Amino acid sequence: MTVGNESRTLAAGWLSPGMLVAFAVFGTLPLWIEHVGLYRYLGVEILIWCLFALGFNLLLGYTGLPSFGHGAYFGIGAYAMGLTQFHLVADLWIGLLAAMLAAAVVGGGVALFISHRRGIYFALMTIAFGQMFFFIASKWTSVTGGEDGLLNIARLPARLGVVAFDLTGNLAMSYFVFAVFVVATAFLWRLIHSPFGKVLRAIKQNETRMAYLGYRVYVYKWASFTLSCAVAGLAGGLFAMAQNGAYVQVMSLQWSGVVVLMTLIGGGLVSFWGPVVGTVVYFLARDLLGAYTESWLLWFGLMFMLVVMFKPEGLAGLWQEAVARHAAHRRARAGALQPAASE
Amino acid sequence: MELLGTLGPHLLNGIALGLLFALVALGFMLIIGVMEVINLAHGSLFALGAYVAVALVSPEGGLRLSALAPYFSLQIPVRFAVAVVLAPLAVAGVGMLLELCLRRTYGRDPLYGLLLTFGAALVIEELIRLVWGPTERFLPLPTAITGGVTMGGLVYSVYRFFASAFAVGMILLLWLFLQRTRYGALIKAGAHDSEMVRALGVNLTRLRLLVFAFGTGLAAVAGIVMAPIWGVRPHVGVDAVVPAFVIIVLGGVGSFWGAVIAGLLIGMVVGLTGAFATAWSLVSMYVLLVLVVTVRGRGLLGKKSVLER
Repeated sequence: MTVGNESRTLAAGWLSPGMLVAFAVFGTLPLWIEHVGLYRYLGVEILIWCLFALGFNLLLGYTGLPSFGHGAYFGIGAYAMGLTQFHLVADLWIGLLAAMLAAAVVGGGVALFISHRRGIYFALMTIAFGQMFFFIASKWTSVTGGEDGLLNIARLPARLGVVAFDLTGNLAMSYFVFAVFVVATAFLWRLIHSPFGKVLRAIKQNETRMAYLGYRVYVYKWASFTLSCAVAGLAGGLFAMAQNGAYVQVMSLQWSGVVVLMTLIGGGLVSFWGPVVGTVVYFLARDLLGAYTESWLLWFGLMFMLVVMFKPEGLAGLWQEAVARHAAHRRARAGALQPAASE
Repeated sequence: MELLGTLGPHLLNGIALGLLFALVALGFMLIIGVMEVINLAHGSLFALGAYVAVALVSPEGGLRLSALAPYFSLQIPVRFAVAVVLAPLAVAGVGMLLELCLRRTYGRDPLYGLLLTFGAALVIEELIRLVWGPTERFLPLPTAITGGVTMGGLVYSVYRFFASAFAVGMILLLWLFLQRTRYGALIKAGAHDSEMVRALGVNLTRLRLLVFAFGTGLAAVAGIVMAPIWGVRPHVGVDAVVPAFVIIVLGGVGSFWGAVIAGLLIGMVVGLTGAFATAWSLVSMYVLLVLVVTVRGRGLLGKKSVLER
């Protein structure tokens, strides 16, 4: 299983065909989403969760570390966004920076404790820490608002020098989230195709070997976890803006699991864009299946089980297989033609 | 002495809670040992056990078949006894189904087993919601184990004593089963080196199926015993399974008495913080975990285990 087959073509560059497709689709999303019967806010939500899932996949797909408590860092980002706005300074950029930093600091602290662990032990520890933050957030009412959440978080205007964009409408919010998504995705893409990313992938394949080769595996795992938490915090900060509030539910075990679901169904284990595909599928399933049945999660869960059992590479895996089969077919046909041509 | 007087009831509550936590954790650990799978659906099966018991004890519990009218005219203690036996069996059946699904993940990255059981947890919880609805249910109890007793001027719930005694009984039975029977020996051997067990001519496929059924059945037993204390909600499983994770890591993966000690420790810590800072009682166990694991990486009594691969 190699992660990021696309890397062969344009690994050194900043762009890839997948990236162009994703940017084209998401960039034009606000223009056509209402014409296909959906609504603009859904686009905002999807982009935010795509960002969260991409950051999560740095850990799951590229470093091979399963975290079942990632919702905590998303939530911490959301709270940090609200708290800076209320108590420190009402500025969008500072708020987003604070969301990222808060999640990175907390995540980095957790990573100190768990980075020497592997596999399932690692997963158990992430659950324990995630639950710890969930309970703290739900009980520390004076800071987080407890079960009610932190309400009335404003969508502050995006100031760029002399101009300021008002983000209170969902259209402007869509473009803003898209802009953040582009920057963050480009960063993650470069990171994964850098020497640092190569080391992460090698750790996923064989941690012991990397340790014997002299790499300080602990440091790399720590950095991967912390960066992934920072991205989660950024997404959480955006989510607090989108929702006009920060709520404790996103920190629960179930929501932490949802991001795992999205990443895996889409094919995060074999493709950079897998998490994005999975997130889109999840939200479409929620809105389309959810319109017919209240128990749509049941069907989604069953689908997830089938994916894990029969196609753990997810939708991206299916796509790559189809492409490979098509290429093999064409080669075979070309091979069959050649002797005929030489005669 | 005065301090003990104030702390006493909380410690007692904590010990009762800890014994029940340990019971949940032990079923969970059997499965980790032999299957090398973290069963994230353990909590949902715990909840399912409680729901099946409600259906078997309470006439409004979901089994609305008129053919069952004679059954529901039986005394509550009889129906309760039936539920304690049948509900774990039913849940063990579901567990066996889950094991059949899990077979596809054997020999691959253990992550897939974890993910599959996570999906199963979601599915079981949604099924519960579909069948029983999202509202809380109550498990009727025989009058013999309800009410309170007064000791030293304080009222203790009889049911907590019953639950603790039941948990102690189950833990001892489980230990005897593992120590004194052929199957117990096979399970322990399977946890140590399953390939060697297979090479010695044991049907490993069947052993795994049985262990999974046994472990999930234990989850259901714990779910029934816990039902009157925690209530029966679709989401109750998470409250049960997360302490079980903590106990397993704290006690050391694969250590029977480690899990029991960790369960008691966590019960007491939760009980004591509950007395002084109610809001923080559930956070305290994670603090304890982090403290212990920082000093002892493999938990209190842990040895090098399959999970570190």
